[in-house]
Amino acid sequence: MLGFQNQKNVCKIICMMGVTILTQFPTGNRTGPETVEVLSKRILALGAAQQGQFLVDCDTYTSIPQLGPQRTVHVLHNSEQPATVFSLLESGNKTIPLAADGLFDLLMMKMSSFYTPKKQTKAESKGLRYEIGDFCVKLGTVTVSSNFKGILVEVEYRPCVVPAMCWDLLKEFLQGLLGQSAPGNLPAYLQNRVQEIYSPIDTIHQYLEHFTLFRKSPGGMGLRTQ
Amino acid sequence: MTSPGSAMDSLSAALKCNIIPNQEYLLQGSVLDQYVEVLLHRLRGLCDNVDSGPESFHDHELCFTLRATNSSGAPMVLPLRVRRALDVSDAPFQLRYVGQQELGDKNRPTVVRSSIDMACSSTIVDFLTELGCRLDFEYIARGPGEGVEPISQSYLVELSVLAPSGQDAIGEDMRVFAEQLRPLVQLEKIDYKRLGSMM
Amino acid sequence: MERDLEQLNCALNSVKTLRSNVRRVFESVSNGLRADHGDEGKENKFILELQELLTTVNNNLRDVENSVSNLTPPPGAFSLGNTAYLSQETTQERQALYGQLVNSYKWTDKIREYSALAGNILATNSFNKTYKTFSTTKRRKTQSSNHNVSPEVIENLITSIDRLFPDVTITTNRPFVPNPVIQASLGRVLKAIIAFKGLMIEWVVVKAHAESNDLWTESRYKVFRKVTENCHAAMCHFHSPMMPELAVRSFMHWFHSYNTLFSAPCKRCGNHLHANLPPTWRDLRTLEPYHEECK
Repeated sequence: MLGFQNQKNVCKIICMMGVTILTQFPTGNRTGPETVEVLSKRILALGAAQQGQFLVDCDTYTSIPQLGPQRTVHVLHNSEQPATVFSLLESGNKTIPLAADGLFDLLMMKMSSFYTPKKQTKAESKGLRYEIGDFCVKLGTVTVSSNFKGILVEVEYRPCVVPAMCWDLLKEFLQGLLGQSAPGNLPAYLQNRVQEIYSPIDTIHQYLEHFTLFRKSPGGMGLRTQ
Repeated sequence: MTSPGSAMDSLSAALKCNIIPNQEYLLQGSVLDQYVEVLLHRLRGLCDNVDSGPESFHDHELCFTLRATNSSGAPMVLPLRVRRALDVSDAPFQLRYVGQQELGDKNRPTVVRSSIDMACSSTIVDFLTELGCRLDFEYIARGPGEGVEPISQSYLVELSVLAPSGQDAIGEDMRVFAEQLRPLVQLEKIDYKRLGSMM
Repeated sequence: MERDLEQLNCALNSVKTLRSNVRRVFESVSNGLRADHGDEGKENKFILELQELLTTVNNNLRDVENSVSNLTPPPGAFSLGNTAYLSQETTQERQALYGQLVNSYKWTDKIREYSALAGNILATNSFNKTYKTFSTTKRRKTQSSNHNVSPEVIENLITSIDRLFPDVTITTNRPFVPNPVIQASLGRVLKAIIAFKGLMIEWVVVKAHAESNDLWTESRYKVFRKVTENCHAAMCHFHSPMMPELAVRSFMHWFHSYNTLFSAPCKRCGNHLHANLPPTWRDLRTLEPYHEECK
């Protein structure tokens, strides 16, 4: 029995992950599945082992007009942190991140009369997960409301937590994997945070940036993957 | 290996199985400062953690509400509370929605109110402010021990259990436990609406 | 009466066993897959382990049920002697006995339990290894052995290393013991858990900051396992029984060069990666970075 109401012993939000780079891989004149096939063959040839699957999804809600200037709430889940719900609130030129327990989704339902889901914007990146040495590579097929939009490659170097320390090393790895399509610079979001300890919300930021671009892009190749 | 299901699917599965503790069973009462030691003694005998002693807390709670009128002009209100431990710096913040309380009839031993309770990062205060929430009031709860700026000569005593809905046996257990604390503390179902009309 | 007590004891013991085994189940579940499950078929091994634990819990539960069914419920109220009157008097100012009674009961209970445990453990380990004779007349002023130096000397050495490098932070959980185990954090790159034997380094494990400070489990990351191996090599290289302090200093100096583990390319091939690893070797004299295959 509880004598005192005390909620200090709640689970901690774990902030432990290696620096991660998310980049788009152009499909060229291939279809989505063909592109994934090419990349998957390449990474297996480098000695990777396939280790399960992953899913990152994003729902977007906007405030009702009665609440004043419009604000947008993005709610994201990452199968890598299954007990956490990430949320990014865009208000004016500010973006406020939040990491919370899984019950945050329940709260969003309670808020449904204040913040309504944006139609046709459910975005997800889904695919296979590979491990190679201390690197973890994820090849994701991106869909926006079930329409194929493109390919996202996520590379995590798990032992290192400061972007500035391992960017060159990651760049070399990405070049080995993606060739010409490897990014030459750190993702814009990380450039202001190179000396900070990397945390799961940073990956979420990168996914949101790409999802936002994909949502604006016209229909991808118009292929339905499901 | 199976593909990871979407988080919303697992949430609705959890809702369906009714394993989410979203009901709070609550009894409240108060004890005068001068008798608080006696109450602590009684609790020491009743609770399991005699040797570690009562766990202290020193929490700061901010109470927000999200308000708007819906399209037909009726007001909509969503109360949200943020609680933070002042004495444990690395504890996560606590975000909590507490719904309307149901007193029920005489046979129901405790107040029942819906509650969504979750840990979150420290950005929650900014998040709620930008979301459009207004801070109604805030307070610091500390116990057991001296309050910083005490607002009365009493201690608030709460007996509260979070459980999935439908676990009404808990209410009965709480009534029995509360019985053990009489006549030091009368833990009762407090009707805030009636309190409001008395003032 | 005697028999009842015995059965009660037996029931309490089986409850205790049940609780401890249930705890083991949760411990195993919360730890998930561990390094000692190996690589091959680790899921199956884990499930087998869990099944085994659950079977034990089942058996324990049966024991509890059996022993409970053997108990005879007490016929009437217990006679508590004069203590029975305590419940009549709750006002604390008049007699502060209640709290003291609760505490002393717990205390005696624990003393009994702990002394029994300690007795068992001490019986199996004899403590006749000490060199010291405790006569005041023959006390030696200096000790020549590097294995057996006063804790203050080691403490001084550790403090001086801590001051030597600004980006090496040393924390130690048990200072002032003859054989301390310290954690040396190297910036935000890595940490090493170093065990001393007297003034000499006995064992080193390198891990990520987020990993446990346990001396016996290796890092989950290949790069830190490689660095651990190389630290062992360096530890032996710098080892010098005649000048132990110098050996420790030289080792720490070399160890400090790992602050560029992720950022420095290999001196020979110029690349960051070889076999998906950064240069994990540091030259013992020049401290320059090399891949293992390039040195």
